[in-house]
Amino acid sequence: MDGKSCRRLQSANLCLTFSFLLHFATQSASALSITVNKEECVSETVLFPGDTVSGNFVVIDHDIFWTPQHTGIRFTITSPVGNQVLDVKGTSGHKFEFKAPRSGAYKFCFYNPVAAPEIVSFYIHTGHIPHQHDKATDEHFNPVNVRIAELREALHSVTAEQKYLKAREVRHRFTNESTRNRVIFYTLMEYVLLAIASGLQVVYIRRLFGKSIAYNRI
Amino acid sequence: MISRAATLLVVVAVIGFLPNLSESLRFDLQSGHTKCIAEDIKSNSMTVGNYHVQNPNENTPLPDSHKLTVRVTSSYGNSYHYAEHVESGQYAFTAAESGDYMACFWLPDHSPAITATVDFEWKTGVAAKDWGNVAKKGQIDVMELELKKLLDTVNSIHEEMFYLRDREEEMQELNRTTNSRMFWLGFLSLFVCLSVAGLQFWHLKNFFERKKLL
Repeated sequence: MDGKSCRRLQSANLCLTFSFLLHFATQSASALSITVNKEECVSETVLFPGDTVSGNFVVIDHDIFWTPQHTGIRFTITSPVGNQVLDVKGTSGHKFEFKAPRSGAYKFCFYNPVAAPEIVSFYIHTGHIPHQHDKATDEHFNPVNVRIAELREALHSVTAEQKYLKAREVRHRFTNESTRNRVIFYTLMEYVLLAIASGLQVVYIRRLFGKSIAYNRI
Repeated sequence: MISRAATLLVVVAVIGFLPNLSESLRFDLQSGHTKCIAEDIKSNSMTVGNYHVQNPNENTPLPDSHKLTVRVTSSYGNSYHYAEHVESGQYAFTAAESGDYMACFWLPDHSPAITATVDFEWKTGVAAKDWGNVAKKGQIDVMELELKKLLDTVNSIHEEMFYLRDREEEMQELNRTTNSRMFWLGFLSLFVCLSVAGLQFWHLKNFFERKKLL
């Protein structure tokens, strides 16, 4: 709390109260990668109803062998009472943001339709802005704290975008390196095969005309 | 007046110190299976993690079948934390090398396959800094502390942008070299094709002339 509002308050105890409340204006963020074999679920607790839950995920696939039937993985978000908040199929990355109507444990699940395990890099953030919709009804309420909390949430959303871009950049890098390897090694192998094929051709023709032509009449 | 403030303080103190108000990730672990969670950490940044297994039955202590084994390794294979058959634990270290750090959890085999719920939290960089200590040492008030946190967050965003910029530069260089190699490989292709065909032709011509067929 700033000095001015503390001096205005009658009791130092209430100063302490607000400092406690501000201290755990909760922020949780995790940017992690997991390997999804068939199904992986992660749950995160939302403490206050009305909090904004935002996040993104990117599938970092090394093999890039998805077929037209399976263009990606399935991602679902389930609320604590069992409602589906979000369900996207066949994606290789997604960004989401929603206002949690109730508090509790929200489940974020990834489903992999293909046998090969995929690595998914995800980021989930639950942000709470204390007293955002309170009117300044008493002199103990300081709107600066709400602004600071909003600023913090805005910075978290910037961080979320950065993590998404970073994960996409990693995947792009894999694609580029794979392209480069394919270009160089497959081309060289192509030359070798061409030389071998032509050598075999020559050997075959020599064998056709090898013996004296007059006697064999091929 | 005093008693009201005191009760309010007591209530707030209780809420403030409730241990499970810090948010964490929760996942299920089946017996005999391993789950690994990785995080990309830059060198010289602090990282803090803590984990604990939820007790399925509050009254009895945690059975041995629910105790897990944890290992935290860097991408080069160095182990930074290892704990065997524990219910909970934590680790904190400064990352010496940058790369993907993996925290692997393993539950021992059990004949009716059980599923343990693990609460896990892994913080790096700004979030891992011990802000309580910073506040105590500098004796700064809460608003200044919050603003300091925001400043650190902005700085870390800025550094991340530098990192992304460097990576983009490397990737552009990679693409450029691939493009120029494709260009030269095109000419090489043509040369190889023509030379192979020419050699074939010349060799067969000599062969047939020797055999007096031409």
